[in-house]
Amino acid sequence: MQVISMIVNDEFGVMQRVMGEFTRKKINVETIVVGKCELEGKARIVLTVLGRDNAELALERLERLHDVLEIDILNETRHEAYALVANEEGKVRLIGSIQEVTKLIDSMKPEKYIQAVNAL
Amino acid sequence: MRGAEILVDVLRDEGISVLFGYPGGAMLPLYDYLYESDMRHVLVRHEQCAAHMADGYARVTRRPAVCMATSGAGATNLVTGIATAFLDSSPVIALTGQVPTSIIGNDAFQEADIFSLMMPITKHNFRVMNPKLLESDLRSAFKIAGSGRYGPVQVDLPKDILNAEIDPLPEKYPVRANGMKKDLSRLPDAVNLLRKAERPLIVVGGGAIWCGCGQDVMELAEMTISPVVTTLMGKGAVPENHPLVLGMVGMHGRRVANWALEECDVLLAIGTRFSDRMIGDPSSCRTKVIHLDIDSGELGKNVTATIPLAGDARTVIREMIMAMAKKTGSTPWANRVGELKERCNCDFNIMDSPIKPQKVIHELNTILPEDAIITTEVGQCQMWAAHFLRCDGDRRFITPGGLGTMGFGLPAAIGAKVAAPDRAVVDIAGDGSLMMVCQEIATAVAEDIPIFICLLNNQRLGMIMQLQNQFYDGRLFAEQLGAFPDFVKLAEAFGAKGVMVDDPSDLSSVIEEGTSSDKPFLADIRIDTEEQILPMTIRGQAETKIIQGKCAWKGVS
Repeated sequence: MQVISMIVNDEFGVMQRVMGEFTRKKINVETIVVGKCELEGKARIVLTVLGRDNAELALERLERLHDVLEIDILNETRHEAYALVANEEGKVRLIGSIQEVTKLIDSMKPEKYIQAVNAL
Repeated sequence: MRGAEILVDVLRDEGISVLFGYPGGAMLPLYDYLYESDMRHVLVRHEQCAAHMADGYARVTRRPAVCMATSGAGATNLVTGIATAFLDSSPVIALTGQVPTSIIGNDAFQEADIFSLMMPITKHNFRVMNPKLLESDLRSAFKIAGSGRYGPVQVDLPKDILNAEIDPLPEKYPVRANGMKKDLSRLPDAVNLLRKAERPLIVVGGGAIWCGCGQDVMELAEMTISPVVTTLMGKGAVPENHPLVLGMVGMHGRRVANWALEECDVLLAIGTRFSDRMIGDPSSCRTKVIHLDIDSGELGKNVTATIPLAGDARTVIREMIMAMAKKTGSTPWANRVGELKERCNCDFNIMDSPIKPQKVIHELNTILPEDAIITTEVGQCQMWAAHFLRCDGDRRFITPGGLGTMGFGLPAAIGAKVAAPDRAVVDIAGDGSLMMVCQEIATAVAEDIPIFICLLNNQRLGMIMQLQNQFYDGRLFAEQLGAFPDFVKLAEAFGAKGVMVDDPSDLSSVIEEGTSSDKPFLADIRIDTEEQILPMTIRGQAETKIIQGKCAWKGVS
């Protein structure tokens, strides 16, 4: 799993512009986290793709966008996985490394879940 | 100041003196201001052609040019023209009207989400939602379009923004434009590789036209005794009568140029993206490649570069020249190439009747002035022009190489003539392409823009015929245009001059008349309907397939 982190202008249309580059290069986005960040008027996007080549290709295309102010591929030590898991008994929040969270989900076999990866 | 007034002020300040456009409800605040401004407005007959005209204008001036259309259908009509500009890296600024900000998203009358539609076919685009950002967004649009690798930028202008009372900017707002990544760390390696090459070759693409580095390329070619080939988009960057220049490579390129591309040991590629029509299967490129492009994204995209260089071609070539020792005398490679070039120079002054298209191009070669601007449509007519036309001296060759947009040539010629009224401008057209945009003859007449439409009329979609013959067992379908119009009457109906030619001996006088005509002129040249554009080279992984046709090239023996 490759994690790309970027700072973008926090405006309508920016997500579409960023996603458009993935569409054009036929790269699937595995997970995505977007939110406010420490810079006013900017947002941070953290997304994951499979394969180093895909990540580098996406980086090459994204860093040329005028709405992308900073972008980097973050190494494994900085990855954090999250999941929200639910079955009849209720909801559970999972936090850990990508491997840990994936393993837990596999063993729990939950009815529903959503998994995402974040990084700083 | 009103938004529309600020807009016109910014345009003027950015060096714009002509707009190609078509009005509509959402754009009327701007047109109301144009009423009292000295800005020239060329009223087109279809918005697609406004984009092509701005494109033609931009390709001649190498500066951003502006087209505009109203909201909704007007704006969607621009899409083909902007996509054409995008693939050929042309700095077209598209101004589109939009419904007022308060009703965007309500499916208002003439509303289209043109901001989304334009996103993948522009270098960047803006929707001005805050009147205070109007000026900075416009300035950014010009900065982005005309820097780095050029490209189109769209600015969506809601009607209330054009009407808004805006205080002039008290201070400069930051202009948004990401710089291009520059990486010349391997320049010394490139110089070494080129110096040691036994069989060097330089290929120049459209990038060399945009940065105007043709003379520098030839200086480097002479120093290193490297033959030079061009891509379709690079045609005209270097003088084709220079002994080292072999002409165009690619599917319909010259045999000697394609041969050199296969045989060279070091290829210096300048401002080309190694498109599939140029190189065929990228894995067929087995030579060492020094790839120089202003857009780092092109390096390694289609072919693996042995040495990638990201930077401005002219600057980098100047640096190469400084670092290079001049070779003197000759090399076995250059002698060989020179010999083969002679064998590739066939005589296509064919007097056959019906007229051969090659004969028409031969006459154009002879008659067109040294600084003529040639635009093309798409299909056989384009490839006959690309293969046989000689771009010596200052001749410009303007063609929609990337998107292959039929109907580009006529409006691009009109835009080019507006940019360079003193130069002869010829559209080498086919009947299929011309029919897509023939309404623009009216624009040329109304605006007094005397372009010459040199129509190679074979009454069919010749390239379709040719491909169906070659690859679909001759199952010809949907390639006959059947009830084709009388193009002479069509030209006359619009107020232009039209002449029909079916005798090859009349060609030269008609072409001379068309080139020097003081009003739009259409020569309806009835060419051989069976003629194909050959040779055709298809470079594949395992083998290179060549359909020779009449081409007399004996190749290497």
